[in-house]
Amino acid sequence: MAEILALDDVQDATILIGKILSKKGHSVHSFTEEDEAINYAKENKVDLAILDIKLKKMSGVEVLGLLKEAQPSMKAIMLTGYPTVETAREAISLGANEYCVKPIDRDELEEKVEHVLKSTGLKSTLSV
Amino acid sequence: MTLMQEQKYLKVFQKVTKLTSMVLDHQQVMDTIVNSLPDLMAVDAATIRLLDAETGQFVMGSSHGLSVEYLSRITIDTDETMEMILSGHPVAKTDVDQVVTSHDQELIQSEGVKSILTLPILFQDSIIGMLRLLTRDKRLFTADEISFSMALAEQVGIAISNSRMFTEMENQVDFMKEVQEISTLVNSSLDLSAVFDTIVERLPLSLGCKGCTIRLLKAQSNQLELVASHGLSENYLKRGRVENEKNVEAALSGSPVSIYDVSRDDRIFYKNNMEEEGIKSILSVPIKAGQEVIGVLRILSDVHRCFSSSEMNFAVTAAEVGGVAIRNARTYLQITLLFNQIEENERFLANILDCIRPQLLVVDHNKHLILVNKVLQNVLNLSENELLGSDYDGLWQDHDCDAEDCPVNKVLATGESAAYTHKAVQQEETVWYERTASPMLGPDGKVEFVIEVIRDITAKQQLEQEQLERVKLQGVIELAGTVAHEINSPLFAALGTAQLLEEDLEQQEFIDDMSTIIRNLKQIGVLTKKMTAMTGFESRDYVGDTKIVEMR
Repeated sequence: MAEILALDDVQDATILIGKILSKKGHSVHSFTEEDEAINYAKENKVDLAILDIKLKKMSGVEVLGLLKEAQPSMKAIMLTGYPTVETAREAISLGANEYCVKPIDRDELEEKVEHVLKSTGLKSTLSV
Repeated sequence: MTLMQEQKYLKVFQKVTKLTSMVLDHQQVMDTIVNSLPDLMAVDAATIRLLDAETGQFVMGSSHGLSVEYLSRITIDTDETMEMILSGHPVAKTDVDQVVTSHDQELIQSEGVKSILTLPILFQDSIIGMLRLLTRDKRLFTADEISFSMALAEQVGIAISNSRMFTEMENQVDFMKEVQEISTLVNSSLDLSAVFDTIVERLPLSLGCKGCTIRLLKAQSNQLELVASHGLSENYLKRGRVENEKNVEAALSGSPVSIYDVSRDDRIFYKNNMEEEGIKSILSVPIKAGQEVIGVLRILSDVHRCFSSSEMNFAVTAAEVGGVAIRNARTYLQITLLFNQIEENERFLANILDCIRPQLLVVDHNKHLILVNKVLQNVLNLSENELLGSDYDGLWQDHDCDAEDCPVNKVLATGESAAYTHKAVQQEETVWYERTASPMLGPDGKVEFVIEVIRDITAKQQLEQEQLERVKLQGVIELAGTVAHEINSPLFAALGTAQLLEEDLEQQEFIDDMSTIIRNLKQIGVLTKKMTAMTGFESRDYVGDTKIVEMR
């Protein structure tokens, strides 16, 4: 089972991600503040980060960059309510494995998480 | 004086009178006298010298019985003698060859001259020359001889003056005819070089001279430019600048100058060049156009000659006629150049007006067309001749520009520029025109003409419309994106939570209700996806005046 970090400015969304993925046996650590999430990643092992693009102080892409510095082998799924070509291109260039658009269906989220955790290469997908 | 002597003098006097009355030319008169007097007066030689009023010098008129060398000496006589003659008194000298102070003693001795009687030639109390009777034997002239010779000299003076006057009158008539002819010739042409050639060719011919030059002042430098010459070599003409020659300076200040002997006159600078060219005398006269001296005309003679006043007057008059003709020709040339320039400018301006894309017209204060460019002619499908002079209002009968909106009317009413943009439908297409009218004010400050420029601004209008649409679309897309983004996160939480709940429910009724919630939440998700992917929209009527958008 994986160590998953979920970061979204909407708390309900982080709670939901936690509930869905916990049921699948993963250990989910939910955050609404960027600093807390980054600090956590610096001190703890994270297999997968699920990041919203629009956060409170920084963008999810910037946070991804910092998390990757702390844990280069960490996998990442980007979530956004407003997909743009620029953020997608940047996220993928920083090593994001998936780029998903909200509202994402529960099954789809589970499937994406499993797929990313199983994947070994850097191949990324954009799901809009 | 004895009776015999008196009779002899009387006979001599009669003979001289008879001789001088038979000839009219003053040169012939002088020649007759110097040839006859030696026999009549029992002397060996005689000379007549005439006074050059210009220089105050006595110049040789005629001689008999003397060598060229003797006649060519520089000094005629002593200063005392010359003063006596100029004051009208005769001077009789004996043993002139013995005077050691004389500069020309050797010449006098070799010529064998012993005695000289010098007599002033008077006419109306003025000295016009001197008569000298010379002997090679020592001779003491008696008081009677001197007195008789004085009377004879006076008679000679009358004869010379009469013949001069006759010659002058004859010359004047000839010169008047000549001036008339020259005037006719130069005024018949406005070609400057033809005018110059006529003057330089005709003048020396009329005066019996070698050649002639015309030099004109250059406006900027005040230097003289040789513009025409006749009868002179290239070498002579290229001898150098002449502005500082005194004769030229005098002519430029408006006074004619006659020089009898150019080789000895300090008013001539290029003496050697003149000698090489064979020039002996010169007449410089101003070329005047009105009161202004515009140049110098010089007439050059290859024989010594004292230009008479009528000859000088003729030259001055001919130069003035030439001056006026030159000015006329210059003015004509300037006018022609100006006219050509104006024509060229007009052509250039017309080309510009025809090449510009807007339609352009000019109307007078009565709204009659006085200028239309090619573009307008093509638009109206009428020729320039058909349009010029026609009524402005008649042009726009089928157009949408109302009289009260017409900018030309506004300019005529207010005197200030006016503009109006209007829409027209042509061949089922909407066309936009911008009409700008500007006044051209007359000297009285009233509107004399109105210039109207009509531009087709359809493309600009369309561009502006498109720009407006783009800005509007951008706003709508951004708003839709924002709305979608703000909805998607809570929607994700709500949908996910509902799906988890559905899993935990056991009663079918609750499961169905939850399914309804999930289905509708998904429906909202589809809508927000459409909003984030939106690239355009169309307005759609909703209720009443309210409109909503249809996303594309």
